[in-house]
Amino acid sequence: MEKNGKKVVIGVIGSDCHAVGNKIINHVLETMGFEVINIGVLSPQEDFINAAVETNADAIIVSSLYGHGELDCQGLREKCEEAGLKDITLYVGGNIVVGKQIWEDVEKRFKNMGFDRVYKPGTPIEITAGHLKEDLGIA
Amino acid sequence: MNLKFRKWTEEEFLREREEVLRQWHTGKEINFEESIEYLKNLPDHKNFAKKLIDAKERGITLAQPRAGVALIDEHIELLNFLDQKGGADLLPSTIDSYTRQNKYEECERGIKESKKAGRSLLNGFPGLNHGVKGCREVVEAVNLPLQLRHGTPDARLLSEIMTAAGFTSNEGGGISYNIPYAKSVSLEKTIKDWQYVDRLVGWYEEQGISLNREPFGPLTGTLVPPSMSNVVQILECLMAAEQGVRNITLGYGQCGNLIQDVAAVRAMQEQAEEYCAQMGYDKVEITTVFHQWMGGFPEDEAKAFGVISNGASAAALAGATKVIVKTPHEAIGIPTKEANAEGIKTTKMVLNLLEGQKLADSDELNAEIAQIKLEVKCLMDKVAELGDGDLAVGTVKAFEQGVLDIPFAPSMFNAGKMLPARDNTGKIRYLEVGNLPFSDEIKEFNRAALQERADFEGREIGFQMSVDDIFAVGKGKLIGRPEGK
Repeated sequence: MEKNGKKVVIGVIGSDCHAVGNKIINHVLETMGFEVINIGVLSPQEDFINAAVETNADAIIVSSLYGHGELDCQGLREKCEEAGLKDITLYVGGNIVVGKQIWEDVEKRFKNMGFDRVYKPGTPIEITAGHLKEDLGIA
Repeated sequence: MNLKFRKWTEEEFLREREEVLRQWHTGKEINFEESIEYLKNLPDHKNFAKKLIDAKERGITLAQPRAGVALIDEHIELLNFLDQKGGADLLPSTIDSYTRQNKYEECERGIKESKKAGRSLLNGFPGLNHGVKGCREVVEAVNLPLQLRHGTPDARLLSEIMTAAGFTSNEGGGISYNIPYAKSVSLEKTIKDWQYVDRLVGWYEEQGISLNREPFGPLTGTLVPPSMSNVVQILECLMAAEQGVRNITLGYGQCGNLIQDVAAVRAMQEQAEEYCAQMGYDKVEITTVFHQWMGGFPEDEAKAFGVISNGASAAALAGATKVIVKTPHEAIGIPTKEANAEGIKTTKMVLNLLEGQKLADSDELNAEIAQIKLEVKCLMDKVAELGDGDLAVGTVKAFEQGVLDIPFAPSMFNAGKMLPARDNTGKIRYLEVGNLPFSDEIKEFNRAALQERADFEGREIGFQMSVDDIFAVGKGKLIGRPEGK
């Protein structure tokens, strides 16, 4: 597979053990040329940050499937800044809140937390990968 | 104490119990004498084990939702809504994911923030934090039997508290609440921790209190071949029976091919009963639970109702004792109480229409039952061999060696070398057997079934089939075929 030179940290945040989508995101992003650092399920914020610092990653994609996304993601952007990850590209997606809520409200809530892009349930990873190429200037 | 497949002595149990009850302050609320009295006085219509036996005798299928929110009053309101508006036969309390990882401080934060926000920020009911007193408020405010449903590798204290509070059924097991739910917890530890939970249930049973236990059938809910999930159910059934559990509900997650679904449930019940008889557990009463489709759902609610109805039909025709119900919000996460009630109503309607009907025997059904049993026996024999006759030790070794292997599981103690895919009629087969100890005959059967699909679709047998199958139901089909096929 031809590499595109960009590194992405992926993982499932908090006490969430949904593994299937994580394995598929890994598979698809690699197929599309990204270097993937997969920290897997049940990952605290610190693990995302440490992995990004250690590998000098270009982006972090946070997955959350179980509803606690709102609690788990609070403060992630600030901690990235503290760790020296200035303006790192930060995405979140999955079933990120409890229950069916108005999407625009949810998106706003997560953008206010510092996420660059926020994805609805059921978004194919290919779409996210397309945005990633745009945002990292390789599209 | 080394892991062994044998009943814990009362001394071993009581010694560990002292330590368990000190894990969080609500553990101190438990008073054994008082709990026994409380459970003895619980009316029959709130006893899970008794309601299941009654359903089994009457040959009907009961409907049970999943549900749980952070705060006690809202949780009670939710459960009564599902009973009165949805028509649920049995009630759950689905436990939040922080509790499942034993993060009780984070539960406290979730409870506080939920009060502040006026909506539940937790994805379930933090029963351990609410304690015996809080959980009893729930037991006393509802009119149906209650079960705790979770996904907790170490559920010792949670089980103590909620059982003492009057929850008469508990889902989980040393394999089924580890491999799909944890990343780095060893099987030795979870099997021991679930021996404790089973011993707790056995201990109450010895005090004359009938409680139900339910191993979690669907595992990762992602294309698990029936023989693999049935082996796990049978092993957990035997582990529970050894600790004195008498009322066991074995689980199965819908695969989607009706013949295979019916065959799997029948094979599971028959083989579990055979193994129990062989090992001398003659007082064990086995019932079954059928989980409606556990994989990805279509977002369109009308389509989701189609998936729910299909699962309800398969559960009824398989003769399952109960069915766990999905909701039209499945694709987007946790449902509102209204959506949850709609799922139950849809299910109950189908169950009522099919009452008294079973799928008739046919060559295809009998062949599938025989195939599942053959594969199960092959795996069970190897587990026993690896453990020198000890099924607990054998289970740990079997996972180490990939002899038991669950597809798409998060656990580092699972080999992840086996891969499944659907055959041309949608039955789930072994695409890669990895280190499974299958005979050439079994391997050839699975390969031939997948070759038929590959020929039909004009492509090679491969991992892309599994990936396509994972997304297929969400996109509106059972089998993930290439476009135009």
